[in-house]
Amino acid sequence: MEEFRFIDLETHDAYTNMAIDEAIMLAIKENNAPPTLRLYRWKPSAVSIGTFQGMRDEVDIEFCKTHGIDFIRRITGGGAVYHDYNGEITYSILMPKMHPLARTDIIESYRLLCGGIIKALDYLGIKNAEFKPINDVTVDGVKVSGNAMTRRHGCMLQHGTVLLDLDVKQMFSILKVPQEKISDKMISDVKERVTSIQDILHRPIAIKELKEALTHGFSDALKIELQNSKLSSEETQISVKLAKEKYSTDTWNFSR
Amino acid sequence: MLEANYKVPGGKLVKVKLDVSSGKIDKIQILGDFFLHPEETILTIEESLLGCHRDMHSIEEIIEHTMIDSDATLIGATASDFSKTIMMAWEST
Repeated sequence: MEEFRFIDLETHDAYTNMAIDEAIMLAIKENNAPPTLRLYRWKPSAVSIGTFQGMRDEVDIEFCKTHGIDFIRRITGGGAVYHDYNGEITYSILMPKMHPLARTDIIESYRLLCGGIIKALDYLGIKNAEFKPINDVTVDGVKVSGNAMTRRHGCMLQHGTVLLDLDVKQMFSILKVPQEKISDKMISDVKERVTSIQDILHRPIAIKELKEALTHGFSDALKIELQNSKLSSEETQISVKLAKEKYSTDTWNFSR
Repeated sequence: MLEANYKVPGGKLVKVKLDVSSGKIDKIQILGDFFLHPEETILTIEESLLGCHRDMHSIEEIIEHTMIDSDATLIGATASDFSKTIMMAWEST
């Protein structure tokens, strides 16, 4: 059984969260960190955009500033995601490129790692979740988890969000959703495209319950043994530096 | 600034922002929620298109060559989708 370092649910601001992912990648590159799974929340709530997206194209910056919502560019592709502090858990899984769980084929990689989310949803009583290529997990065709991957520094990183609760009105105030994307699917109601665990189960689910489901889901689906641990002091140092010098800067966030 | 959005059927959204001067690409940004590995390739692609004329096939070829040179993989869109969106932006004048 492969061992993974497990960094249990933590809460950070957006800059620190994205900086920690990169700091772990850099440590793995230097052979200074084991394969790692981490769970985290975002405080303040934040919107992250894909690395190829335009910040002002996707995000209502004025609304975010007025409402204390952070905005950040990820190093991964994919779309814009609203990370509500009370409405979701984000995970990151990182491993060297040569790890048995790091598949060369990108879609197969998503499929394999999203197995952890599908298993977690199964534990919560959602039995019909499935992987929907390219990078989603859906229930009855409706998205409940979005995921994104990058391969760099000799390392593979996949991170993603699992929606516990969804405030569509809030999400639409923050995100500028392109009309093309809606009309293509012939669906004008976002609730037919995105859902949440609570909407599916019709009962309140505590963050802790989702956290435990994700922990067991990843461990069982990927057949990995999770070792509770934390960042090394070196990783922490590098993440502080990256948060300050990269992820919190307009140079990075508004580069597109 | 010319602009076009194209939702790839079964794929991702591609957005192009374009400045044209004397019939050639002067500035270009290719944006969207697709995946491209390695990510930095997007800058190489954009740079390789500067000075290009309005020709969908040659633009597609340039993108494809740049992708091969960079050993890049595009997911959720193709070089042809990029080229098509560039044409859509160009024609939006």
